[in-house]
Amino acid sequence: MTQRRKWAAIPGLFILAVGAVVLSAYSGASSSQGRGPVQPINFPHPRHAGAVKDGGLGLNCLYCHNAANKSSDVGMPAVSTCMGCHTIIAGQADSSKREIAKLVKYASENKPVPWERIHKVPEYVHFPHVRHINAGVTCQTCHGQVQKMQRVYQYSSLNMGWCINCHVNGYDPKEGQKAAGYDNVPPANYSGGVPYGTPGSNAGLPVRASSFTPPGMGLPRDTAAATAGATPSAQRRRARYDCASCHY
Amino acid sequence: MSNDTGSPGVKRRDFLKVLGAAGATAGAVGCSSEKVGKLIPYLVSPDETVPGVSTYYATTCRECSAGCGLIAETRDGRTIKLEGNPEHPLNRGALCARGQSALQGLYNPDRLRGPMVKENGAWKAIEWDAALSLLSQKLAGARGTAANAVFINQHESGSFPAFLDAWLAGYGMRPHLSVDFEADSAAIEANRRSYGVAWPRLSFADAKLIVSFGADFLETWGLSVPQQLDFADARAKLAGAPRFVYIGPRRSLTGLNADQWIACKPGSELAIANALAGKTSIADAAQQSGVAETTLQRLQQEMAQARPVMALAGTRGPNALDVALAVAALNQANGAVGTTIRPAEPVTGFEGISRFGELAAAVERMRAGQVPVAFVRGANPAYALPASARFADAFGKVPFKVSFSLYPDETTELCDLVLPDLHSLESWGDAEVGRGMVSLQQPAMDPVFAGTRATADVLMQVALKEPANAARYPQKDYRSWLIQRFPGGMSAFTSALVKGVGPGAVAPRTAPAGAPATLAAASPIDSTKGDFYLVVYPSPVLGDGRGANKPWLQELPDPVSKVLWSSWVELHPETAYRLGIDRGDIVEVSTAAGKVRAPAYLYLGIRPDTVAVALGQGHSSVAKLDQFEPKHTDPKVVQWGYGRYARNIGVRAQDLLGIAGDAAGGLALVSTRASISRTGDSEPLISTEGSARQHGRGIAQAIPLSELGRSPRGDEGGVAAIAAEGDAKAPKEGAEHIPGEPPTAFLPGLRSPVAADAQGELGSPTSKDQGKLKGMYAPDHWSGMAERRWAMTIDLARCTGCSACVTACYAENNIPTVGAPWQNATIWADAKAGFNIVRGREMNWIRLERYFEGADDAKFTEDFEARFVPMLCQHCGNAPCEPVCPVYATYHAPDGLNVQVYNRCVGTRYCSNNCPYKVRYFNWFGYGEPDRKQYAFPSPLDWQLNPDVTVRTKGVMEKCSFCVQRIREAETRVKTEGRALVADEFTTACAQACPSRAITFGDAADPNWTVAKHVEDRRGYHVFDELNTYTAVVYLKKVNHPEPAAPAKA
Repeated sequence: MTQRRKWAAIPGLFILAVGAVVLSAYSGASSSQGRGPVQPINFPHPRHAGAVKDGGLGLNCLYCHNAANKSSDVGMPAVSTCMGCHTIIAGQADSSKREIAKLVKYASENKPVPWERIHKVPEYVHFPHVRHINAGVTCQTCHGQVQKMQRVYQYSSLNMGWCINCHVNGYDPKEGQKAAGYDNVPPANYSGGVPYGTPGSNAGLPVRASSFTPPGMGLPRDTAAATAGATPSAQRRRARYDCASCHY
Repeated sequence: MSNDTGSPGVKRRDFLKVLGAAGATAGAVGCSSEKVGKLIPYLVSPDETVPGVSTYYATTCRECSAGCGLIAETRDGRTIKLEGNPEHPLNRGALCARGQSALQGLYNPDRLRGPMVKENGAWKAIEWDAALSLLSQKLAGARGTAANAVFINQHESGSFPAFLDAWLAGYGMRPHLSVDFEADSAAIEANRRSYGVAWPRLSFADAKLIVSFGADFLETWGLSVPQQLDFADARAKLAGAPRFVYIGPRRSLTGLNADQWIACKPGSELAIANALAGKTSIADAAQQSGVAETTLQRLQQEMAQARPVMALAGTRGPNALDVALAVAALNQANGAVGTTIRPAEPVTGFEGISRFGELAAAVERMRAGQVPVAFVRGANPAYALPASARFADAFGKVPFKVSFSLYPDETTELCDLVLPDLHSLESWGDAEVGRGMVSLQQPAMDPVFAGTRATADVLMQVALKEPANAARYPQKDYRSWLIQRFPGGMSAFTSALVKGVGPGAVAPRTAPAGAPATLAAASPIDSTKGDFYLVVYPSPVLGDGRGANKPWLQELPDPVSKVLWSSWVELHPETAYRLGIDRGDIVEVSTAAGKVRAPAYLYLGIRPDTVAVALGQGHSSVAKLDQFEPKHTDPKVVQWGYGRYARNIGVRAQDLLGIAGDAAGGLALVSTRASISRTGDSEPLISTEGSARQHGRGIAQAIPLSELGRSPRGDEGGVAAIAAEGDAKAPKEGAEHIPGEPPTAFLPGLRSPVAADAQGELGSPTSKDQGKLKGMYAPDHWSGMAERRWAMTIDLARCTGCSACVTACYAENNIPTVGAPWQNATIWADAKAGFNIVRGREMNWIRLERYFEGADDAKFTEDFEARFVPMLCQHCGNAPCEPVCPVYATYHAPDGLNVQVYNRCVGTRYCSNNCPYKVRYFNWFGYGEPDRKQYAFPSPLDWQLNPDVTVRTKGVMEKCSFCVQRIREAETRVKTEGRALVADEFTTACAQACPSRAITFGDAADPNWTVAKHVEDRRGYHVFDELNTYTAVVYLKKVNHPEPAAPAKA
């Protein structure tokens, strides 16, 4: 290598290295976690889904998102579902009246409400809500305590590492209940679901040393087990996690 | 699906529209984008649907006259897949490629969006009200001469023909012409005369010998799917299966499935049939037909011994009716009627069909200026009639012409008013599928285009404008009209819709079909000029040309020639070499009627004195439309010439034909001689045929019947001995290598046990370590991932090569078509259709390979065999593709799938290079990206995309996934229902569609699944067994039925 080429190569490599660092940093920050766009109607989840003691109605998530335990898609409530109550409920506070009036306007014009989408996995990922809901995973485990959010935002990163973490380390229904914020509420028994610990269910499958190592990935860190007071991983519900479980 | 939602003023169409907006925005974003689109809810949630869960509607296929039953899978208001209705007596769950492609007719981007009127030669969109007023005004004006009006309707069975005749009668018009350019009028007429029905049931399974005189019953002759199901069932009897002899100048797909081909001169089938019946001498017949006398003698003897015989006639020459009658007499003499030919169980699909002669007479009336108004619905006579009929000229003399076509076809372009019909998947109807059996047609979804209306409804709306006619239509629409006349009324109708088929009767067509107008008696072929006989035949894929605007069908290689996106001229190599013509050389075929230029395809299965051209291509427009880029094209620009996928592709074989007919009034397709000449031009033939020969690789294996009973282990001969004591892999010492036979022995069954099939750890099947090595996935892994072993068997004794599986795969897996002219790399003005295909970039995850055995030199011989092999990812237990991927984008799933992870793939293509089966396909261009010119799904074709399958992007490798989305769906379903997977609960798209039931898919680890039994079949073999790939696809050898008294081969 000539001297001149060497002087060209060193800055070149340096630029490449900087580029790699920037790219990796960018990719790590590529989640839209925390994003909470303004919605066309300022829908108060706390008022509808919040606990009664907190001034909510305590509606089950599935009342409106009623396909979550039947389908990959959760389904957004039809405008007629909203109007089922709001034909007679016009709100008390001015702010409520204003928002409900928007809804009534949409309904009277036969237009759907153009809700801003918040949670979205990429096209090449297949996320069936039905499998998770029926396995007893609380909605709040992934979506956060929406019943306390004045404006809904993306609670989890939805990155692949986050998915895999739960699939490998397992989901603890107790933690799920805690995450849901329903302290004294019995475990949610969604239709078709198998409550935790029922004989015959595959809850709490014993852990064996897994011979499966996703190629090139290594086993994800058992982060939850490292947390003090967490359920021992032996009692956690785990799920299949090879690539083709979700990517096809 | 009901038309209204129960909520006044709210149309479901509006929900679907807004729901569609969500999907459209969702496609363009990745995980990190801030713009993730909108979530658009329903206004009122429809009762029977759950978002993301399919609803299924039973309806009827209208792609040909058969009337097979469909199950339309509808997701979020859009039909995404068509499958056969398992309860339907005709197709019993299977569906051909053309039927499945009805979806691309429904979502065709070139569909007419609304009514248009031609003013001063220019088309102008108008409102429905204005269009209907214009029509009634013209009808009123034609009152006096209305009796001469012509209504040409695509033939369909059901109540609509009677409804239409009644409507026409209300205006004093004569009954309509029900045309089907594919239908074999001679066979129908002969059936009527000999058996008393238009089409008897053909029971192949009861025959001991099938003799077909040019009847292509696996493709375009009769009802292809029911006949194929029956034929495959018959052949699957192996030892008890009928032997099949095909007599004709060209071996069609049906001919290639025959055990013996008797290559007679066109038109000499009559002499053979008469000689076989003993009416004339065999020697004369042999002399006339150019067939060896001994061949015919042996066939005569065999027919006398093998009872019952089934003889079928489907010749399309001037003497077609005579042939059909002679063959019917042969059946009667042989006692076939009642056993193999069953007039007591008639198929009614062809009843009421008009003869070609009646249409020709109507055209002459038009030319004489007697026709005041003409209507065309579904049919496309301007394209389908031979050029010598000069249809456009005659049609132009009609003062007012109305088209109800969905597509901008040649005939519609000549019309004055277009009232676009609804697609059969959007409208109501019925079909008679047998005596007392009705198959219902219901909308699977709301109309794609709000501006289209069902013709039956339009006719009613026009009639209601006139008080005299209005009284006859108390119902508000055709659906109500159907319900009112359905026995049991509304409730019976609704419950019949659930199954789609049930007892009932369609409205009878009372009008007499009119005197059979016969064409001028055609002269015998031999008296015309030219060196070669010309055989023109309906394409097995495109039919009479109806399929040409559907990219799935354009991209589907012809089962015989493997040519696609093109026309071709079939020549025997012997002829071609004599004339200095090579594959791909452009030859000019000329007859007295006209000439066409197309590339030559050298085909073993055609007589050296014959050339053949298929119908179906060569659509063109009067309007000169240049090469264009559809993406930039305004959707309002009407794509005349049958749409962007059909226009200027190939040549129109009708240009070679005169309007000679047969005695039944049918158009003779084999009616003339032709001369051929080299033009000096040459082009690469657009074909997916790599090599027509196996070169000893043993891809498609077959055994003669005599070796069927032998054990694959231990005996001499046939299947090479497998040494239980020795090395299973060693070829037999000193054994001669037989082309097409496996170089090594095979073991039945799946070589690799469940979950112990990962790379390199398995060892030889006879190894002592077998079962001890766990492979990559421990069978007792906590996740239960390794419980199953998905596998497939393909029975080559059943497979007919029809290629329905290929289209099923395209439909299920969002496979892009890549052959359109604008899908090339750069903007090349001279880009031709098939650019990508020539470069080997087709994306057929499952392809039909066709190999020839025998006829090794270019000399003509009748004695060669064709073998069809559906080739797809073999899901090797020891896959060569997996270790070479640098990014682990392909890996082995614990349940036996070889998985391709698109988002990991960086497109090195190492896997494809290392794949011995060439079943991996690379996305060279952005076929799935809407803003690229190569986009394969211009709206609304993208509405068909399966939401369960990723649309792959540029630079990604893809391949058969064993329909993993169906596996996941089934797993989710059983989990939700809290039960275990039932054996044979679901299957892949290819296996589901297969009209010969050759493909079986399932869990080979569970003995309850059918596939677990089939993998142990002694006919089983793995392709490229010697590579130790341990494939999950097991082929069952084809069984050949040699001629019983054939002289021993040298």
